[in-house]
Amino acid sequence: MRAMEKRSITLTVNGQNHEVMVEPRKLLVDALREDCRLTGTHVGCEHGVCGACTVLVDGSTVRSCLTYAIQMEGHEVSTIESVDAGGKLSPLQQALHEEHGLQCGFCTPGIVMTFEAFLKHHSDPSEDEIREALSGNLCRCTGYQNIVKAIQKAAEQMRKNPDYVAP
Amino acid sequence: MSHPEFHYIGQHLPRKEDYRLLTGRGRYVDDVEVPSALHACFVRSPHAHARILGIDAQAALEMPGVVTVVTGADLALWTTRQRMAPPIEGLQAMEMDTLPVSKVRFQGDPVACVIATDRYLAEDAVEQVRVDYEVLPAVSSMCQALDPASPRVDEALPSNLISHQQAIHGDPKARQREAYKTVESTFSMHRQTHLPIETRGCIAVWDEGRQHLTFHVGNQVPHPYRTTLAGRLRLSESQVTVISQDVGGGFGQKIALYREELTVAAVARHLKRPVRWREDRLENLLASSQARENFCRTRAAVSAEGRLLGLELEIIEDFGAYSFYPGNYLARVVAMILTGPYKVQDYSYDVKVVLSNKVGNGPMRAPMAITSWLMEGTMDAIARELGLDPVAVRRLNMLHPHELPYTMATGEVLADITPRETMEAALAAIGYEDFRQRQKQMRAQGVYLGLGLCTVVESTTYGSRFYKAAGIPGSGHEAAWLRIEPSGAVNASVGLGATGQGYETSLAHAVAEGLGVAPQLVHLHLGHTDIAPYGMGSRGARGGTAGGSTLYLCARDAQDKVLLIAAHHLGLVDHTSLRLRDGRVEQLAHDEWMATDLTLADVARTAYLDPTALPQGMSPGLEFHKTYDPPPMTYSNSTHVCEVEVALATGAIRFGRYVVAEDCGTVLSPVVVEGQQHGAIAMGLSGSLFEHIVYDEIGQNLSGTLADYLVATAHELPHFEIISMHTPNRSTPAGIKGMAEGGVMGAIGALSNAVNDALAPLGVVVNEQPLTPMYLRGLIRKSFQSTNKA
Repeated sequence: MRAMEKRSITLTVNGQNHEVMVEPRKLLVDALREDCRLTGTHVGCEHGVCGACTVLVDGSTVRSCLTYAIQMEGHEVSTIESVDAGGKLSPLQQALHEEHGLQCGFCTPGIVMTFEAFLKHHSDPSEDEIREALSGNLCRCTGYQNIVKAIQKAAEQMRKNPDYVAP
Repeated sequence: MSHPEFHYIGQHLPRKEDYRLLTGRGRYVDDVEVPSALHACFVRSPHAHARILGIDAQAALEMPGVVTVVTGADLALWTTRQRMAPPIEGLQAMEMDTLPVSKVRFQGDPVACVIATDRYLAEDAVEQVRVDYEVLPAVSSMCQALDPASPRVDEALPSNLISHQQAIHGDPKARQREAYKTVESTFSMHRQTHLPIETRGCIAVWDEGRQHLTFHVGNQVPHPYRTTLAGRLRLSESQVTVISQDVGGGFGQKIALYREELTVAAVARHLKRPVRWREDRLENLLASSQARENFCRTRAAVSAEGRLLGLELEIIEDFGAYSFYPGNYLARVVAMILTGPYKVQDYSYDVKVVLSNKVGNGPMRAPMAITSWLMEGTMDAIARELGLDPVAVRRLNMLHPHELPYTMATGEVLADITPRETMEAALAAIGYEDFRQRQKQMRAQGVYLGLGLCTVVESTTYGSRFYKAAGIPGSGHEAAWLRIEPSGAVNASVGLGATGQGYETSLAHAVAEGLGVAPQLVHLHLGHTDIAPYGMGSRGARGGTAGGSTLYLCARDAQDKVLLIAAHHLGLVDHTSLRLRDGRVEQLAHDEWMATDLTLADVARTAYLDPTALPQGMSPGLEFHKTYDPPPMTYSNSTHVCEVEVALATGAIRFGRYVVAEDCGTVLSPVVVEGQQHGAIAMGLSGSLFEHIVYDEIGQNLSGTLADYLVATAHELPHFEIISMHTPNRSTPAGIKGMAEGGVMGAIGALSNAVNDALAPLGVVVNEQPLTPMYLRGLIRKSFQSTNKA
């Protein structure tokens, strides 16, 4: 691929507009990390398998390594930086903390984004459903068991108290 | 937790690292902002073995944003060559260029490096660098490597046999002659790779004014790494700072100084501009360290009752093209600890390590991973050939508690291990006899269930005396410092390099216990060579025993001084009746600990700000430093029991229960240890089922994407049931043993044995991995064909 002319685009990320100059081939994940300076979204494989770069676009999960930044004009992008409200962990983040659902943490933002979306539509998921949904995110440290446990716990917490915010 | 003698060690506390990692505020290498940094991208060989006839970078240099293109010839001026030549018997020395000058040795070998203002532009330019190659025949298998007619991977060496070591203890041949039977088994483990989710990467910032290099890199051994990096750049260790903040997994892949990293450092210094590099996944699969790939054979001389009389081991390992570690480094440990929980003194080994045109091998979580499969696969083979119950054969041969400490045939000493206890606990938990009943009933219905057993004796912490005895240069010691600040705040550091284990949490427990403050108030500062003391970093399972023990001892020194000051203040003759607990000085009166008015903060204030109030002759401040060399070796042990169902029609494996009883001594943080157990088992199962770096016959790597190199997801892995046992090691401070690799060893063996057990009625024995449906179907089909013929 040859260098292309940069274009000015507006990215709406976590409710804020970012005017950025990007080549049309620039990946969304690179634009988020380099141009918006939001480095919480990680690059693990650049071919859509590992799930580390998962973000939400208009509320649905998207691999930001398989998406061009220029495609995102007019869409709402949400990244890991938007999940905790003013330093308060979301129920899912809190449960991952309590159940030791992360180790090196590199895959964690992708998993959090995947299940922030998943839990909105699955208030009482079974272990099988969780494992199936989690199979789109590779984790090399945890063996997944504590992640599954944390997601179950978060779901329970959110059912009991929909307005729950972690202490 | 069952550590009544400890107050803080073993507490169930969540991790300190989590907040930043959960909120996207970790600082991995690629998150570090360096203004106007240039980007490096490597030109890599498309051939497994070829002479470099010429490199033409003109077209690349004319492209937008390209600053320079450097080759092996440039690096030869700026860096020294690597020489891997420890004085080990049977090992050939190897020298390597920083980047290849005359020939490439594997597909993906870096031949040039493009430096540009932007990563995208650097990648564009890489495609325009023309390299002329004369393609040479490749060495793509162990068998071929050993053939004298084959090409030599390193032409400076007389053959591809980089290491050959043998030892005979007792007389195993004589035992075979006397034996009722000699049972022979073979085992082939396939090539795998560590696959941290964060690939490699680095940033080099050269300060021309100070003549100083700041090097950001995710690394497990920051100080030894700095020593090598400085040396190869002809700089002093005062001129290099290595910073390794958050690291997205290592598993052994982030230890040695890679040629790409040295290149980036040298170019940054040459250009006097910061340069950064982030490896992509293709490069990680093609050119980052790989592991395993060996062929092993055991010959067990046994009595009719199944008693093991003598054992022979042969290993051939494919080490790849370059010696980033001594060639014997990985396989020799397998040979030394093979017999593990079993009593046998007549034992010999023959270990050959060969070079091939593949990526150079490195230690991957459990470099000795195959050990337990070898030994426990051999035990199953004995049971199978003699028609005995596999558990009975193990019970007959396993060490009894009264036989400990036990000196293995190789001279390795096992102490404070409990293999019988873990085996019986795991068997009881799974309900062994009930399983056999169920297995029988299900077989009658055409359902093939199997149960695999694997007892692991895991070598965890390698002390300096082990290295010396094994003829390996280097040290197994660790270093720590601890500072109580004037406010009473507690800072500490150790030379380990964290890659996600949770050291900031687990090691805080060790400091807390030694000092007498809550772990939550202890802050660990890791991964910065100007801040941390010179330690040997993270390898094997040494973090707990080497790192934790050093910090614990250092913190005990600190508590001593705090109490001496407190005793002086309280007008006591000595400090024997005092202790620090939760940051408050307590005094023993009538067998009861009573709080005094003094806190750690009071003592700290005195130590720093009112030194004339200190006991006579005591120096001001509360700063402590400690080094500690662990015993030659510490061992943990465990037993894995795995239930599977194998579908004959498809060769698919489905897990039933997976139970592990593990005794890893005193546990600093049960939260962190459980996480390590899960992760290790998962890595073992994933490797045994899916992961496979495949090279074809001309040395082309066929596994360059995660669609080819498959890793277990949450969907394929079972739920792990863990039974925790805690027999302390009596020769380490606080009884710590170390752990984190045994799970890999146990999983590999338990799964293979379970599949064999399931397919026993067909006479099928798996002797290679991965256990893919295609492989199992092939064996099942062959079995049916031979039955039909008969």
